Amino acid sequence: MLTDRFLRDRRGVSLDAGERARLEAAISTTSTVEARKIIARAGQWLDQSTLLVEGIMSRYLDDRDGLRQLVAIHLPGDFVDLHAYPLKHLDHDVGTMTPATIAIVPHVELDAITEEMPELTRKLWFATLLDAAIHRAWLFRLGRLDAIGRVAHFFCETNVRLQSAGLSDGRQFTLGLTQADVAEICGLTTVHVNRVVRHLREEGLCTFRNGKVEILDAAKLARRGQFDPAYLYIDDPASPPPPDQRPRR
Amino acid sequence: MTDDLSSPQPPETEAGVATAEDGVVLLDGPDGVAVTMTPAAARSTGESLIEAARRAEAQLAARRS
Repeated sequence: MLTDRFLRDRRGVSLDAGERARLEAAISTTSTVEARKIIARAGQWLDQSTLLVEGIMSRYLDDRDGLRQLVAIHLPGDFVDLHAYPLKHLDHDVGTMTPATIAIVPHVELDAITEEMPELTRKLWFATLLDAAIHRAWLFRLGRLDAIGRVAHFFCETNVRLQSAGLSDGRQFTLGLTQADVAEICGLTTVHVNRVVRHLREEGLCTFRNGKVEILDAAKLARRGQFDPAYLYIDDPASPPPPDQRPRR
Repeated sequence: MTDDLSSPQPPETEAGVATAEDGVVLLDGPDGVAVTMTPAAARSTGESLIEAARRAEAQLAARRS
């Protein structure tokens, strides 16, 4: 199913069969998009939202000199621009980083879900709030961490997110990004990222080559990046969700 | 029960570390500083930092007297 990875393994909000079927039915079209294509531009009127099925997408802003800051990375299972549902336009561009498969959900379908299925609506809201939590972590990363810490934090976060989507075994994952992309994510130059990647490898923390990340020492990498996955709200099978996050009827 | 918010960030007491790589200068730390500069920009920044440090020391001396 196209929505299989949406909110997979998220604390107390995994979709039940009926909700998943409703969300599948809300999809109007699917398409494949080449890498490095713009899906939505800032200011453009939107009457649909995009669920990322395969590939990597980004949200980004360019400064007056055309230099880019990636402000979010989206991975399979993410609703890339669900916040465009109430906002109706974005304040940033959205594009593909790798070849991607996307599913389009018209806003009229989200209107119907909102009216018919309050619990599913709450889960869609959760997904948007999860994006906000990730944004806060990115602010922390850029504001408080040095170059090595920023890259370490990004690799740790991406590993957990991909693991949640079933696309990392926790030790290695495919990341179809370049060092230049990582530079735009971490607010660094490519030379700086290159040096940081070398340092991480030499310190035995992780490697990043040919679009693959291998984590050699997860605990040490997390410590170096001051990474605590709590903000990703991943299900912990060992502990039940708090009462107010248990599925409601 | 409330906890006090921490005070604003104090001035950094650790020095940043500058290194050369591929013909550019990388400045790492303190805190979130991570900058790549051309040699000319790095030299100018260094001179500016030294001059500003001199002025700041003079301000501290004036405050103590």
